[in-house]
Amino acid sequence: MPEDRTEQPHIVTCTAPVNIAVIKYWGKRNEDIILPINSSLSVTLHQDQLKTTTTVATSRSFQEDRIWLNGKEEDITHPRLQSCLREIRRLARKRRNDGDSGVDSASLSHKVHICSVNNFPTAAGLASSAAGFACLVYSLARVFGVEGELSGIARQGSGSACRSMYGGFVQWIMGNKEDGKDSLAQQVEPETHWPELRILVLVASAERKPVGSTSGMQTSVKTSCLLKHRAESVVPGRMVEMTEAIRKKDFAAFAELTMKDSNQFHATCLDTYPPIFYLNHVSQQIISLVHRYNKHYGETRVAYTFDAGPNAVIFTLQQHVPEFVHMVQYFFPPETNGADFIKGLPVNCASLSEELKQGIGLEPMPKGINYIISTKVFTHIYPHKQLLQHCIIGLL
Amino acid sequence: MENKDFDIAAFGGKRNEDIILPINSSLSVTLHQDQLKTTTTVATSRSFQEDRIWLNGKEEDITHPRLQSCLREIRRLARKRRNDGDSGVDSASLSHKVHICSVNNFPTAAGLASSAAGFACLVYSLARVFGVEGELSGIARQGSGSACRSMYGGFVQWIMGNKEDGKDSLAQQVEPETHWPELRILVLVASAERKPVGSTSGMQTSVKTSCLLKHRAESVVPGRMVEMTEAIRKKDFAAFAELTMKDSNQFHATCLDTYPPIFYLNHVSQQIISLVHRYNKHYGETRVAYTFDAGPNAVIFTLQQHVPEFVHMVQYFFPPETNGADFIKGLPVNCASLSEELKQGIGLEPMPKGINYIISTKAGPGPRVVEDPTQHLLLSDGFPKKTM
Repeated sequence: MPEDRTEQPHIVTCTAPVNIAVIKYWGKRNEDIILPINSSLSVTLHQDQLKTTTTVATSRSFQEDRIWLNGKEEDITHPRLQSCLREIRRLARKRRNDGDSGVDSASLSHKVHICSVNNFPTAAGLASSAAGFACLVYSLARVFGVEGELSGIARQGSGSACRSMYGGFVQWIMGNKEDGKDSLAQQVEPETHWPELRILVLVASAERKPVGSTSGMQTSVKTSCLLKHRAESVVPGRMVEMTEAIRKKDFAAFAELTMKDSNQFHATCLDTYPPIFYLNHVSQQIISLVHRYNKHYGETRVAYTFDAGPNAVIFTLQQHVPEFVHMVQYFFPPETNGADFIKGLPVNCASLSEELKQGIGLEPMPKGINYIISTKVFTHIYPHKQLLQHCIIGLL
Repeated sequence: MENKDFDIAAFGGKRNEDIILPINSSLSVTLHQDQLKTTTTVATSRSFQEDRIWLNGKEEDITHPRLQSCLREIRRLARKRRNDGDSGVDSASLSHKVHICSVNNFPTAAGLASSAAGFACLVYSLARVFGVEGELSGIARQGSGSACRSMYGGFVQWIMGNKEDGKDSLAQQVEPETHWPELRILVLVASAERKPVGSTSGMQTSVKTSCLLKHRAESVVPGRMVEMTEAIRKKDFAAFAELTMKDSNQFHATCLDTYPPIFYLNHVSQQIISLVHRYNKHYGETRVAYTFDAGPNAVIFTLQQHVPEFVHMVQYFFPPETNGADFIKGLPVNCASLSEELKQGIGLEPMPKGINYIISTKAGPGPRVVEDPTQHLLLSDGFPKKTM
């Protein structure tokens, strides 16, 4: 090793994607190691539009583990962060003890500095914890020289983070074991499988903060018998149907299941006591718009799904993107300077016929949506060779 | 006269569309007629050429299947009774055509589920005209499901029944209105919005597409009917309230689980729900409960001692038009001042004009005859009063 090597931090930077569940996870059977009451399935989004970037550095000179998120130092002792750090180190030690020469023993013996940023606003409520924890685990694994199955560790940081460990279409198998060793993510189909699929994230106007997922799902598990029935009797069949629809690239089936599962998730939130409302009047209007749009054309061209917050995620096929984006702009007219309304992948112009506008028959809801991110399905986590300047300033 | 009822264990699906048999039992509270009622006058005469009906001043189509069901069934029952030797049956009336005139003392646009009161009143009035007594809820049920519950006062259950012919799908009184005199009801009449999905088609779609509804009907409601009956018998307000809110929410959850989804709760409804939960939390006890039917109006249950403060809470958080004089209707409501501590404890933004007005009422009796002939809605020629 070079003489000054031990003084130089070992630095790795990675990026990880956001994923959107089409069969929803809501409810744990084990709070500590995060085991769910049902399986779930998601679509991983393209990182050009939405991603978390994390740099991890280890050095003999670091006195303690530290973490900065979106420019602010956070509490490293947070149980979820500790779970990930502990588990990845444990795995690295085990591998090393089993004779794996790829493990970086030096790094493993040092403290880590972690710096993470999202390229989308946290206030947008775009489920950044999934991307964040996936990136953290993946980056730590690269720094320590650990390869292979990592989704089980990401899961312990944030349940849905395990699904961000893979690209394309991903399922989180709920597992049966008490120790959670079989509660892992696996890829159903790679992103190359369905290139025509497009996703539009409709970022809602900021409103009063919704009920957080962790406590929300705890209350749901405790009080909703409809949720129990959903987990036991509905989701298993839907996982099979959804997998089938994706494999066959059957958009109509995919779309209908997606909408039904989003609605059923929100139904269980309403069946919680006290009830949880994530869908607001803008969400209801978006839902109406989609159903009327599909009805107008006599086919399921567009689907919606909503997580535990006001943002809508729209699935459609690429040929329908221009018209639907302009539909959204027409029925949810933005601030006068609408130049920044459409972000992400370029969207072609489209004119809306009077017949279509009247067929929809809804009143426009000005400023209901802040902006739209046009994106598509994408592949897995990238390790980056370059260093990120602003992260390094924080580390050194 | 006839009374409105409000679901506290909701009926939201049929197993038989023709004779209206539900997929689960339901339980309701009958409201006092001084505040909300349907009035119906029925006249028969040899000179009438055909059956006719006027509703709220407008002649309607008598051939509507639900109206025909009620007319047919009450006449069938009357003939059967007569053939069985019942001397109370008015054979003359039975052989004549009828003119029916019906009005509500509340605006139809308020969406206050007038079909229940309307059909119950129709059936009760026809029965009086024909001289038929006894069990009539099964006939009212065929006009509009929930109408069977308006055949009784107080606390009423509609037993779903098992039989295919629906002869055991009837309403019965659980407790009379005198049982719980401290119970109060506030109807929060929402501002008019776009027309919600009608109940009949809404519940058809729910039965077809919602597996959560199926589970609710089979596995949840039976136990809740028992618990609710118990809570009413014991006058256990906290238990009654919690069940009421849970059942309202579960009903709306099954609407959301319908495809396409049905939204009856709007942003005002959500705010009312928040207000109730925060109010109860502030006092550390369940003082107030909400329930919502297939529309935007909220029905609040509480005990009489909480009415003044809660009504003024509603007025504060849903400030009406500047002339708020007509905001509170029905039973008089005492003044109450709201402490700053309470307002801040609630911590919600006021929602101006979210609620049009409040009707303060209580549980009330079942249908009754109006003795005063000046109250008839039809003149002696059998036609509606011109003033309508």
